[in-house]
Amino acid sequence: MQPSDEPLWDIVEVSKAYPGVLANDKVSIRLMPGRIHGLLGENGCGKSTLIRLLSGVDRPDSGEIKLRGTPVSLANPTAARAMGIATVFQEFSIVSTLTVAENVFLGRWPRRAFGLIDWDAMRRRSREVLAELDIALDPDAITSTLSVAQQQLIEIAKAVSAEAQLIILDEPTTALGLDEIEQLHRLLRRMRAKGHAILYVSHRLDEVTALVDEVTILRGGRVVRAAGSTAVEVDAIVSAMIGGSVHEHYPKERNTRPEPVMAVKGIASGKGVKDVCFTLHRGEVLGLGGVLGSGRTEIARAIFGLDPLTAGRIEIDGKALRLSGPADAIRAGLALVTENRKTDGLFFNFDGRANISSASLPRFATFGFLNLKREDAEAATLARDLELSRGATEKSVQHLSGGNQQKVVIARWLLSQARVLILDEPTQGIDIGAKLAVYRLINRLTAQGCAIVLISSDHEELMAMSDRIAVVRQGTITDIRAPQEMSHADLVRATTSDNDHEGRTAA
Amino acid sequence: MKRILDAQLLGPLAAMGLVTLVVALTTDRFLDPGNLSNLALQVSIVSLIAIGATIVIFAGGIDLSSGSMVALLTMVLATLVKNLGVPFWPTLIGVLVLGTMLGALNGVLTAFLRIPSFIVTLSGLIAYRGLALMFNNGSPIFSLDPNLEPIFYGSLFGIPLPFFYLVVFYGAATVMMINTRLGREIYAVGGNPAAAKLSGINVRRVQTYAFAIAGLMTAVGSILMAARLNSGSPNYGQTLELQAIAAAVVGGASLAGGRGNILSTLVGALTIVIVQNALNLNAAPSAVQNVILGLIILVAVGVDMWRAEIARTLGSLMPGRSAEKAREVRRGASSDR
Repeated sequence: MQPSDEPLWDIVEVSKAYPGVLANDKVSIRLMPGRIHGLLGENGCGKSTLIRLLSGVDRPDSGEIKLRGTPVSLANPTAARAMGIATVFQEFSIVSTLTVAENVFLGRWPRRAFGLIDWDAMRRRSREVLAELDIALDPDAITSTLSVAQQQLIEIAKAVSAEAQLIILDEPTTALGLDEIEQLHRLLRRMRAKGHAILYVSHRLDEVTALVDEVTILRGGRVVRAAGSTAVEVDAIVSAMIGGSVHEHYPKERNTRPEPVMAVKGIASGKGVKDVCFTLHRGEVLGLGGVLGSGRTEIARAIFGLDPLTAGRIEIDGKALRLSGPADAIRAGLALVTENRKTDGLFFNFDGRANISSASLPRFATFGFLNLKREDAEAATLARDLELSRGATEKSVQHLSGGNQQKVVIARWLLSQARVLILDEPTQGIDIGAKLAVYRLINRLTAQGCAIVLISSDHEELMAMSDRIAVVRQGTITDIRAPQEMSHADLVRATTSDNDHEGRTAA
Repeated sequence: MKRILDAQLLGPLAAMGLVTLVVALTTDRFLDPGNLSNLALQVSIVSLIAIGATIVIFAGGIDLSSGSMVALLTMVLATLVKNLGVPFWPTLIGVLVLGTMLGALNGVLTAFLRIPSFIVTLSGLIAYRGLALMFNNGSPIFSLDPNLEPIFYGSLFGIPLPFFYLVVFYGAATVMMINTRLGREIYAVGGNPAAAKLSGINVRRVQTYAFAIAGLMTAVGSILMAARLNSGSPNYGQTLELQAIAAAVVGGASLAGGRGNILSTLVGALTIVIVQNALNLNAAPSAVQNVILGLIILVAVGVDMWRAEIARTLGSLMPGRSAEKAREVRRGASSDR
């Protein structure tokens, strides 16, 4: 028998129930050494539960977990680590004040006599691990000075140094730019070649198809498509995930009208934006392509009045916009849906209603008193309109799913009667069904005459949903073209050649 | 009404009911009308100052300066009325304006100069008491004005005036927090300042207003303090700022900002005073009283922090309800599709 024919880990009919919900229902999955195994499914399908079981965070109610054919018990995270399982969660377990080497050996620092840390050995060994993985990082660098992508590489180095045979990555690319994703994938392929088993969870189908060898899809806690049944192919995956066929997972409608809405004329800001010019028409979707740090987010911030303009001007309907802060931008009909809805989008202390109305308070106020009835009614109408989950307006947004949270943020700007919406990574970290809902929302908005600036690192999404694409490099727009005149390769070439990460630290 | 009587009020209210019941059953003189009316007088000053402390906490800040500001404002009041012969009512208005301005100064230093409010108001705590000592060579000023004492000791329809102050100011604060744009903006700024800014809310102005309101309420408390003792003294108001914060915290306000019900602060202040009163009636030494006050704060915040765990434990004792809740969560999670 070939060595790769025997599974490293064999999970057999594992079930796990939480009070009132069967999160994993007889899930079976075989993880082979030297294979990258994709685990897909919508939010709430049981992916996280399975990861928790494999990392020893939770224990299964029934079923067997076998390591090289022998049933074992993953009683706690320490046991799981001891059996060679390393999990890179979305929230990193990196101590940002420590150096790279200290983090790689976190809690396992090599010791000398009297329990003192053997710094030389630690540096030497972390240099070896980093070299082995082809990661160009200084072991003495303080981790807080590194980019998110580099911190993630440290997490993986940590797993390797602990001699993990199975590495689980939970949505590792949500915060990464295209070139960083490429780097991560190269690293994972190297590890595959060395015989590691990798379990890879992601929402991004394009990168899944580019990387994984086999796919298991979960829906409602059950395996709906086991690995090896068919080739790894996007349409089949999508339909298996959402439980129906999707003819088009980018339901693009073209609604561009000739009248211009907004003209951006040579604006610059202190955050590296320079000489940005473009015109936006009614019903148009203008995509902004470029890597993280290329200045797309900074352009959005400048237009929205968050970073003062140092040059140029913005015209709305031919009238120059006096911009001294977001309040002016909102009054002129602009809206910004930021990349991180958790940090600067949502009010977790508010219910859905107050989240939706937060940018429209002046409209609901007479002499400073809010008309709560009207606020209630208008928020409820929007919630119904956007098919928010039942009761979403009355409960705290922290109890809503990622897709519903995103709808709440977008609803805020529909309520403020925005005519130009800037959407910064609007589908990041939400599942396919919710992505479709966002795309349909974009169609509806453009049909009503709203214009949209779409920032996305998902090139497929950008090409499919934009009417025109502007390529952003180093804070300025280098090229604007229709997506049909732009190949995937153009975007990649235009975006991967610059290597600065300043935008991230500035943001 | 539903917005007033929310879970954030009912929890502390239930806790206060329990404390009151225990005290009423164990302490004979607790329910005497004289004792109860004394209790209302005792709680009024700290409760009024606590309105400001709570609103600052809602806005994501903290105000440590109110106790020392009371000392300063009573000395200003006493000096104006007694030593400089300024007419009585204009003096009161002047004290209210000065308190509001000192509060606004805290706000400006915090919001515009970006010094953490803890540090700004800690400086105020130290400096205002120093300023108070600069008046009248650091000595108290007594027997201020015949009009002053009735402000605290007077009564209307047989009910002591401080009761009406509590009703009026807590009523106004409740209306402000629930029904006005400023109230909503204060919660928004305290909950997520970045999101508030992106929603077009002028975060710095809102923070400044919150501190100005705190200054105004401290001035109101200062006038009552001067009226109660018919004097001004640089020693008044020691640890009053901490008592006000304790009332807010026992009432369930989150020090992280953005959450809480202003009426809960009154409930928190009452709870603390009832316990202190019970200890007094049972002749507990003041050292013991301080230890118990400390424990009350710990337990109140602990219960708040472990609310989820406590609810889960209680829920597992009642399996039917928790299963229903989990199904609800599942419905919520699956309804995006």
